[in-house]
Amino acid sequence: MLLEKISACWDYFIKAKLPEKSKSSPKCRFPLLQLPRVVLLECIENLDVLEIIQFSLLSKRAKSIAKLIRWSPLNIRLLHAVDGSFLICLRLSTDPGVIWFIAYSNQKKSSGYPYFQSSLFGPKVNHFLFQWCDGSVIEDIKQMVGHICEVFCSSINGIDIVEQSLIEWIIKFQPTIPHVWIMKGVITSSESLDHTLKNLKVTEHLGLQSTAIDERFEITNPISSRFITIDGSNWITLPSILNGNNSVIVLNDSMLTPMDINTILKEWQKGSKLQNLEYMRIYTTTLLDAESYITEAFKDLNFTDDVGNDERPTTVERDDERTQTLPETDMVFNLIRSDGMILSIFGHYDVFEDEKIDMLLHLQVWRPQV
Amino acid sequence: MSSTEQGTSSAAPAEPTTAPESAAAPEVPESFYYVHGKDKVVHKVSAGALQHSALIHGMISNLGYTEEQAKANPFPFENIDGDILQMVVDWCNQHKGKPTPPEDTNLPKQKEKLFDLVLAVNYLEIKELLTYCCKQVAMMVKGKSPEEIREIWMIPTDAEDEAAEKEAKKRAGKEAAGETAAAAGDAK
Repeated sequence: MLLEKISACWDYFIKAKLPEKSKSSPKCRFPLLQLPRVVLLECIENLDVLEIIQFSLLSKRAKSIAKLIRWSPLNIRLLHAVDGSFLICLRLSTDPGVIWFIAYSNQKKSSGYPYFQSSLFGPKVNHFLFQWCDGSVIEDIKQMVGHICEVFCSSINGIDIVEQSLIEWIIKFQPTIPHVWIMKGVITSSESLDHTLKNLKVTEHLGLQSTAIDERFEITNPISSRFITIDGSNWITLPSILNGNNSVIVLNDSMLTPMDINTILKEWQKGSKLQNLEYMRIYTTTLLDAESYITEAFKDLNFTDDVGNDERPTTVERDDERTQTLPETDMVFNLIRSDGMILSIFGHYDVFEDEKIDMLLHLQVWRPQV
Repeated sequence: MSSTEQGTSSAAPAEPTTAPESAAAPEVPESFYYVHGKDKVVHKVSAGALQHSALIHGMISNLGYTEEQAKANPFPFENIDGDILQMVVDWCNQHKGKPTPPEDTNLPKQKEKLFDLVLAVNYLEIKELLTYCCKQVAMMVKGKSPEEIREIWMIPTDAEDEAAEKEAKKRAGKEAAGETAAAAGDAK
């Protein structure tokens, strides 16, 4: 949603043919570097994030001066907008209402680059610095992000990966990272997927759009991220899930069988595995009819209706900023664990002409109010 | 040596003809001090206004001047231009005994003087004014491109820095060689 807004904003700026900035040379000159160091630093501290970056890029000396200041840690994300453009998104925890973006373009050259724009989204302000890029946008972004991380002593919080080279870069540059979203078609072989999973530690959210890999490839080791979203998740096996500590699991095109789901439910109820599970969504296709599927998945489990379903939360927290709204449903099956936690299972299915069934299951863990 | 009296009302409070019945303490007459810059123009400033300067305030506390002594011996700030000291004195008078506002509209507007003003204010340790000045310096590059920032703040390129460093080393080498030669000459 944010990216769409940003993209619309970008288009607007481009279409609006921004007035070119004044080319007249500034009249007033100020020998900043001749100030006593402590005063110089106080001046620099008054710059905003984009200005600090611009200043620190002017020379090695300017960069070393900018690095002397203990800036608030910067939340740095590399985003890929819907229109294909790249953005570096910067936020300060001390200033949550403001987002700074560095946007790159190599398509519509104008003499106006670089330039600033600001826009209001409700109570929030977005400040943009539009940069022109003559060569590879990705190379420029890598350099810029490296520079920002160094100046602000901050690490990258999230990255949208659109090509293989970015995976190699991030593994080298910062192999532990909170958020990673790997776009469709980036991973083209099981070796590449295996290499990525082994070398990149994603602590918060790993999103992986569909991959074109050998169908026989599978993993049995857990993925360490708190939250995983995997399209084309046929390679994720039951042991990988059972042995993991994931809180939110979204598996599309899963090959998990009803028997696997039965095992997941039983293991959860026993309490020895899946202790951190908050929500799991499984989208799968089966040749079984719905009744047989459900019978097998729910085999030897004691479901109860005797819980206050009104209390069941209607949303799931994906991360600090986003929540996911769950679909409304009347048909909910509940399992109760010995510690009082409830696992509600609900979903729906679609039958196709070839008698295949698309099955969507939601497993939601919650604690009833006392 | 000329003298200006800046925004200070030096008139002493009139003596009450009868003692007030209330227990209010008699108002202590404000004391004044004198400062001059490079141009030797003496500025009369109240102690209240000078409170802004940690340097001057410290000097007063340490020296225990009477007003007469202070008049005879103005604080000399030979490293501050007269017009800059005038700006500082004006600011101190305008902000005497007042809480400093978050945005200061009384800040001197002449940007070409800002560098000297910042140095003076830093020297005199006037914290609030220094904060405003530093904000003003940062404002100079608001919305500017990198090249404009370079020009306004006179930031040399890496090549210029390297050349200057080389030159400095060369000069230092020559000076050291000269000193060695002179020492050798002396020894002979």
